[in-house]
Amino acid sequence: MTSRDAILRRLRAVKPPYADEPPPAEYLPVVPLDASDRAALIDRFVTKAEALSSVVHRCASEEQARATVLDIISPDDRVLCWDFVHIPLPGLAEALDRAGIAIAPPDDASVRVGITGADAALAATGSLVIASGAGKPRRTSLLPLVHVAVARAEQILPHMEAWIAEMRARGDNAFTDPSSIVIVSGPSRTADIAMELILGMHGPGALHIVLIESEKQQ
Amino acid sequence: MDLPARTSPVGQPVALYVTCLVDYLFPGVGIASVRLLEHLGLTVTFPFAQTCCGQPAYNGGYHREARPLAERFLDVFHDVPVIVCPSGSCTTMIRVEYPRLFADDPIRAEQARAIAARTWELTEFLVDGLGRADLGLRLPEQQTFAIHDSCHGLRHLGLGRQARALIEAMENARLVPLEDHDECCGFGGLFSVKMPELSAAMLEKKLAHIRACEAPTIVTGDVSCMMHMNGGLVREGAFRQVRHIAEVLADGLPEGVRHAQ
Amino acid sequence: MHNEAGQFIANARQALANPPMLAAVKRATDTADRKRDLAMFADGREHGEALRQQSATARHRALSQLPALLEQAEERLTANGATVLWAVDAAEVCRHVQEIAARHNVRRVTKSKSMISEEVGLNDALIAAGIDVLETDLGEFIIQLAAEPPSHIVTPVIHKSKETIRDLFVERLGMPPTDDAQTMARFAREHLRAAFLSSEMGISGGNFIIAETGTLCLVTNEGNGRMVTTLPPVHVALVGIEKVIATLEDYALLTQVLPRSATGQALAVYTHMINAPRRTGEDDGPEALYVILVDNGRSAIYESEYAEVLGCIRCGACMNACPIYEAVGGHAYGWVYPGPIGAVLTPLMTGLKEASPLPNASSLCGKCKEVCPIDIDLPRMLLNLRRDLVVQGHTPLPWLAGMRAWSVAARSPRVFDAAARAAHAVQPVLPKGKKLPLGPLAGWTASRELPQLAAQPFRAWWSEREKRAAQQKAEESDDQP
Repeated sequence: MTSRDAILRRLRAVKPPYADEPPPAEYLPVVPLDASDRAALIDRFVTKAEALSSVVHRCASEEQARATVLDIISPDDRVLCWDFVHIPLPGLAEALDRAGIAIAPPDDASVRVGITGADAALAATGSLVIASGAGKPRRTSLLPLVHVAVARAEQILPHMEAWIAEMRARGDNAFTDPSSIVIVSGPSRTADIAMELILGMHGPGALHIVLIESEKQQ
Repeated sequence: MDLPARTSPVGQPVALYVTCLVDYLFPGVGIASVRLLEHLGLTVTFPFAQTCCGQPAYNGGYHREARPLAERFLDVFHDVPVIVCPSGSCTTMIRVEYPRLFADDPIRAEQARAIAARTWELTEFLVDGLGRADLGLRLPEQQTFAIHDSCHGLRHLGLGRQARALIEAMENARLVPLEDHDECCGFGGLFSVKMPELSAAMLEKKLAHIRACEAPTIVTGDVSCMMHMNGGLVREGAFRQVRHIAEVLADGLPEGVRHAQ
Repeated sequence: MHNEAGQFIANARQALANPPMLAAVKRATDTADRKRDLAMFADGREHGEALRQQSATARHRALSQLPALLEQAEERLTANGATVLWAVDAAEVCRHVQEIAARHNVRRVTKSKSMISEEVGLNDALIAAGIDVLETDLGEFIIQLAAEPPSHIVTPVIHKSKETIRDLFVERLGMPPTDDAQTMARFAREHLRAAFLSSEMGISGGNFIIAETGTLCLVTNEGNGRMVTTLPPVHVALVGIEKVIATLEDYALLTQVLPRSATGQALAVYTHMINAPRRTGEDDGPEALYVILVDNGRSAIYESEYAEVLGCIRCGACMNACPIYEAVGGHAYGWVYPGPIGAVLTPLMTGLKEASPLPNASSLCGKCKEVCPIDIDLPRMLLNLRRDLVVQGHTPLPWLAGMRAWSVAARSPRVFDAAARAAHAVQPVLPKGKKLPLGPLAGWTASRELPQLAAQPFRAWWSEREKRAAQQKAEESDDQP
């Protein structure tokens, strides 16, 4: 008998410790939020993100967003960057090129800044959903000291429960297609040294969220 | 809290279960309880055959040794309509643990459930059972108190609100908060004897809060906690004391009642 | 991990003689407990209690379907490209990891936190196989340097002061002395970075596995969890069989309740869902993902009356709230899991006899159950473990004899009364204000006065009162014409 069989057999040999109840028809969300007020939702996202020491750059235009990104990168001349198709900021590739900023290979561990898009943003906690995929290396948001995430205001969902519901609505593999999904809530941190809060332990020490609050230009 | 529901005890005579600690160490608590209940016009009986509820043995894991004591309790109190007990921990033993102790004996289990449905801790009896927080009490002089919430009563029986209501309703009584009032004093029954240094360390934390408290008198609903805290306070010669709520309230009875024979 | 639970009393005594350590523990646990309360009840007490109930139900549902969910998890994980292995005991876990390491020519392992790896002594097994093992969670890294066990399941070095950690880094790593925590952390970051980038295998634990989708879930703050599960070509995850949960909705709930209960965070910095090893077209991620489902005593608990304890999500709230944990710290508990959860798990997993002091290391105050997000009745289990200790004969004979004597005496009001009278007669002889060398009383009297037996017990007062009342009634009826 394999270990697998031994374990399963043992578990099946007894009456389960609880009666089998069906899951609730509706789950109480951990953070109750009124999703109808978009403006309030966006404000909440910003407030919560800033409370986690993320830096939020609210940009009224794509031009402003591009300038912000360049500003954060300066004076470096190399960055890690997702494929531009996954970053919701048209013209970014050209802007970086014009500024003489090279895109380093995804495994370059010496680069200070990594630029990604986001798969969703969560207002309840000021968090970003960062999924892996072709052209979306995991390391871009992990290795550099500075993580720049570009997101559009319309990507903001109320909370994690809403994001899960959206994944379900999208279809079977929406959730499991990426090999890795990280919900990022601020820069990395530790309080292990006598409970002093320190930002930038192993992951990025700074998270810049470039939030574009205008219609997407084609 | 999954406790057997109780019917209103109004109009019923009350059988007092004083507990062995009160009986032999702190009889004043029992006397005060009787005075308070009689002041409210209740008929109080004291089934003489009562002894220990078995909690020390039970909490130590000695269920076989606790069982005869519990059975005795069920027998002694089987035909009284209402039982009142000036102890949160003993009341917990009766209401929460007796049904478990007799889970394998349907007859005793049913007796335990029936008794659990007729047993009240003193403060909940007054405030929830009789619906009386104001007992018409008045202290001869202004006094300030703080309450220490004994663990069993607090977490198993939801006690705390009632004691506060009773003290606040008493004239000349003022209630102030005790820091970490719901933190264990470290007694834990035989825990204080099995792990005395640990128990003493917990007591010291409680005493530090008591020393820093504005109230010279700390009030509690369990003489076990009381004797533990006073054990430390007396040793250090402190000016503070811990008293059982029955005695504190009884101080507010009319002069004649308080000292009646 | 070496089990010292049997020496709890001696270890507790040692801890009590270390006030600076205890001050550090108290500061950490007071803060964590306060933050937990703020976070769990941020939207009101009623909402917070509802979340606790919802979480408890989610865990109960998972436990009630455990074998089926494990099979579903295995099927989904495998379909996603992971290799699922099962381990009955500690030896098998170590064997699996050693085999995987050999297969992939692993020379150096980087680890993020895994309590199971402590349970099974994995680090020692790997080192014995000539493999270098580096803990990367800052707290675990520090205790690895100090060659100590962790003292808390979430924040393993709350017992260490900043100065102690500084000295450790200076001595063992050659750090230039500094009292700035940020500088110390930066130093550790640089030191560990090279290891992350060069190690051939990353080992992690697992906070949950979502059966519905075959997803391994990690909850971390530092980023090392992401590092060890992304950079090395091989990732091995050790997950207890009880960690399986049913659905995405259960996951959303529990992955938010866990950080709130643990540290007061709404979400951990990295809420990480791992579905698969590197997918075609992806630039990074491990080439191989192994998930080892570990039993190591859990199925035995499942079979017992203590199955409820398998609902634990390892948040540490119980130890943050526990007055005994605060009084002696985590090391006194002697094994992987300290505090109230440890007082229950250690006897169940390593043997009641070996861990016999632990069920008694509690005043049964009930705070642990009150703060547990899964509402696990730890005090109930401690009571039942004490019963088990007695039934299995692991209690000292004097105690059993004493209890029997008490039971016999208390059964008879007259015997009990006589004994109390005798004690009352003897008591004045005992000196006051000092420690009395009288067996169990010595401990009490070291710092406390004994209560005094009353001159007149309550029942004597009552009898007299009845007599007087009867007399009075007789006199009154005598007076009647």
